[in-house]
Amino acid sequence: MASPLRSLAYLLPQLWRALKEGPHTVKYPFDPVELPAGYRGRVIIRAENCRGCSMCVRDCPAFALELEREGRDAYRLIYHPERCAYCGQCELSCNFDAISLSNEFVPGKPDRKDLGVVLVNKEG
Amino acid sequence: MSKITVPIGPQHPLLKEPLAFSLTLEGEHVIESAMRLGYVHRGIERLSQERTYVQNVHLFERVCGICSHIHTTTYCQGVEALLGLEVPPRGLYLRALLCELERIHSHLLWLGVQARNIGFDTIFMYAWRDREIVLDIMEDLSGGRVSHAVNIIGGVRIDLTTEHRDVILRQLDTLEPQIETLLDVVENERSFQARTRNIGVLSLEQIRRYCVVGPVARASGLDMDLRRDAPTPPYDRLKFRVPVRYEGDAWARTMVRMLETVESVHLCRQILTTLPDGPTSVRAKRRVPPGEVVSRAEAPRGEVIYYIRSDGSDKPARVKVRTPTLTNLITLPDQLQNISMADVSVVLSGVDLCIACADR
Repeated sequence: MASPLRSLAYLLPQLWRALKEGPHTVKYPFDPVELPAGYRGRVIIRAENCRGCSMCVRDCPAFALELEREGRDAYRLIYHPERCAYCGQCELSCNFDAISLSNEFVPGKPDRKDLGVVLVNKEG
Repeated sequence: MSKITVPIGPQHPLLKEPLAFSLTLEGEHVIESAMRLGYVHRGIERLSQERTYVQNVHLFERVCGICSHIHTTTYCQGVEALLGLEVPPRGLYLRALLCELERIHSHLLWLGVQARNIGFDTIFMYAWRDREIVLDIMEDLSGGRVSHAVNIIGGVRIDLTTEHRDVILRQLDTLEPQIETLLDVVENERSFQARTRNIGVLSLEQIRRYCVVGPVARASGLDMDLRRDAPTPPYDRLKFRVPVRYEGDAWARTMVRMLETVESVHLCRQILTTLPDGPTSVRAKRRVPPGEVVSRAEAPRGEVIYYIRSDGSDKPARVKVRTPTLTNLITLPDQLQNISMADVSVVLSGVDLCIACADR
């Protein structure tokens, strides 16, 4: 086949496909983004399940979790999204189904200090 | 004729990662080249000695952005051998599925870069658009487009439902004709051939001398692939061809990679249709008994080797990573001899360099 004809043979089906499918981009953050159910986003907690065993803190590869212990049953579990690698290791390490990752983005904040979240605050 | 020296890199539109070249030109021809590495050295091997085996899975995922899964696979394979763990077949199949998807994604990304460097932007756009299908499959499977965090010591943390399997099979059906179109363009399009034929030729003797691995070696006639030659399950139960070309030039490398992509689609289908039932992982101990192990796997760019030594604690005493780019890089001074300045881009991208892998 002559080269220009061959090029057209490649191009036309692609053109048809592009026209049929329409734009793939989303006007984020003005339009919502569809994320898969298993997307690894914001860390969420079921505080009632947390026992303060610190397994998630010990296994976190990015040091994004911190446990401040003030007594035998008094502790605070703090999450630092700016350090988080969203790997899901905390979810795997937790034996009590207390911590997991949700399919939501973590929005930006102008100040780094505002990002830190106290996930659990137990006062004994 | 007077000589001039042209610096390329560490920051250059031609290079996607930092690497520096100093090319000595006589007229339009390169007569000498010098290379400098180490701009993205992150000390990952040393850092791994400070972290536990569990944390290191995520650390080694960050050695490379493209072939992140194969690094964790090789590492976990090594640690599992030290622990004497037997990973359930379903876990091994899902690991292999991600490996093959990653190979398709890596080769399509590379084709885009190669096409961009030779000025064939249409193929660049098509290859990267079709790569999105693979990235979508991987995101649905693992929750991340490039850092999958799928492997754990003792198996994988994901599982697949029958409905999800059918969705992936349909997505692969959409992808396959697209890859075949790209393969047809690479094989027959005159403009593509004009820029890649007889450029950066490496003979079989050079390949053996420099211990080159992966598609670069297979494009020069060295028939080797770890998946076939030293198969780890489930590759011993899967049927696939290992494409080999004998020209040894940039075109042959493109062909080998594209044929491999087609084979990987077939492998993904085989894995999905023969996926065994059962658990996907087993529980692993935190402390690893003393010993040492060498773990190998076939990454998209060639053979990746992990040497792991344990002293009985929960942190490794030493981890050494040998990435395929490191061996393939050594051939560049030979390839850059006596070529036109305009062909330097084709030679550099033809090897499929991953500098982050090489520097670690």
